[in-house]
Amino acid sequence: MSRLVCPFCGPRELREFEFHKTLPNGGDTPFERVYLRVDSLTLSVEHWQHLHGCRGWLHVERNPSTGEVLLTRLARIGAAS
Amino acid sequence: MKGPMPRYSALALLQARFKGAGFWKPLWTGRTLKDAYDVVVVGAGGHGLATAYHLVRDHGLKVAVLERRLVGYGNVGRNTTIVRSNYLLPENHYFYEDSLRRWETLSRDLNYNVMYSPRGVVDICLSDGDMITAARRGNAMRLAGIDSELMELEALERFAPELAPRRSRRFPIVGALVQRRGGTVRHDAVAWGYARAATAFGADIIENCDVQGLRTEAGIVTGVETSQGFVKANRVVFATAGHTGMVGKMIGVPLPIETHLLQAMVTEPIKPLINSVLVYVHPGHGETYILQSDRGGVVMGGYLDGFPSFTREGQWHRLEEVVQGAVELLPEVGSLRILRQWAGTNDMTMDGSPIMDCVKYDNVFINAGWCYGGFKTIPASGAACAKLVATGEAPDIARGFRLSRFASGHMLDERGAGPFPVRL
Repeated sequence: MSRLVCPFCGPRELREFEFHKTLPNGGDTPFERVYLRVDSLTLSVEHWQHLHGCRGWLHVERNPSTGEVLLTRLARIGAAS
Repeated sequence: MKGPMPRYSALALLQARFKGAGFWKPLWTGRTLKDAYDVVVVGAGGHGLATAYHLVRDHGLKVAVLERRLVGYGNVGRNTTIVRSNYLLPENHYFYEDSLRRWETLSRDLNYNVMYSPRGVVDICLSDGDMITAARRGNAMRLAGIDSELMELEALERFAPELAPRRSRRFPIVGALVQRRGGTVRHDAVAWGYARAATAFGADIIENCDVQGLRTEAGIVTGVETSQGFVKANRVVFATAGHTGMVGKMIGVPLPIETHLLQAMVTEPIKPLINSVLVYVHPGHGETYILQSDRGGVVMGGYLDGFPSFTREGQWHRLEEVVQGAVELLPEVGSLRILRQWAGTNDMTMDGSPIMDCVKYDNVFINAGWCYGGFKTIPASGAACAKLVATGEAPDIARGFRLSRFASGHMLDERGAGPFPVRL
């Protein structure tokens, strides 16, 4: 994995983007939502920001074992997963 | 293995001279898996082997270490060999100091030379603010009886002349926090030494043995299902850094752990240039720590790659950042070629401190979440985890590492960064 495709800017080098956090953290209590992580071998659902580009917030799904990017789209409020 | 393993000594060298090549035995040999054990340790890395060693030596238990691949295949062979105990929080610095004290005598304890080299760890300060933060950490350490020195330019020049602290730089050096007893240990020797010593006390190390599940009965675990069949176990310990999330799924306990990559690299060997371990946080573009291995290669590393990954490939921009810092600090290094670059998978917890606790079942334990500090804690972790498993009580120095701290709000957040492994 060396680049992400920004919905606005197209394919860009990974260094332009900043990883924010993994989603969803799941659970009902604040503890579960804040601290627990999915840590899956096959799917990581994440928020990134195109920090050094359009500054758009992105919803990214990746396979962390292969580095393959499965989905990139703009993040939406109220659509955490 | 037939017969006792020869102890390494001057006398053994002499005997070997007369008895010939057959005198030296393999460090450890493959054992076959037995039906039942007191304790099954999953993972033959540094922590798993050290735990097994202390379980057989201090508590006299019958122990098997199951390893999916080979002894020392994971992070114990992928780190940058640094040992130190310069932490701010009491729960951390007492534990890391216990570990550093054990490093000092480990070669003797294991009868195996792990090449502990107390060459000093130098945290470089670039501003008065850095010096104040360093003084705070240094004072906290000194109150706990740990050696720590805040050095201004004159003292630093004497301690690390290769750094030429007064050299004209883009970011001038102001001083440093130095821990003289910090330094390096040969990482592979740690895995081999513990494996040899644990085997000598009767532990079985089973390589290429994949643990696939737990068998439970009436709310306790009765054993583990492996690729080599079922093994009965009274207690099970997981020391599987880099894949603890998967273990959490197997046990049925969600964990506050995410797996990130940390990369390192080494240059071609050169004559002695760097006398200590230099840690340099450079404004605007990350961190570099740099040291010279005993073989002469300049070893460098930096921050985490920045997002969850199991690929064990490093990101190019992080490598570039590490090298930029190295060249900024020691321009001489710029003419060297990098021979190897690699990455390890790190168990990143949501407060940056480890988890050593009994989880879900009364007889299942995890020794996990060592973040990027796993290597330096191997000796203390082995002893503490063995005590926890054997007696049900962790020693005082490891009491802060309970899983329940996340729910009760007693986080050990050394960096004060909140529940994010990469936010700096």
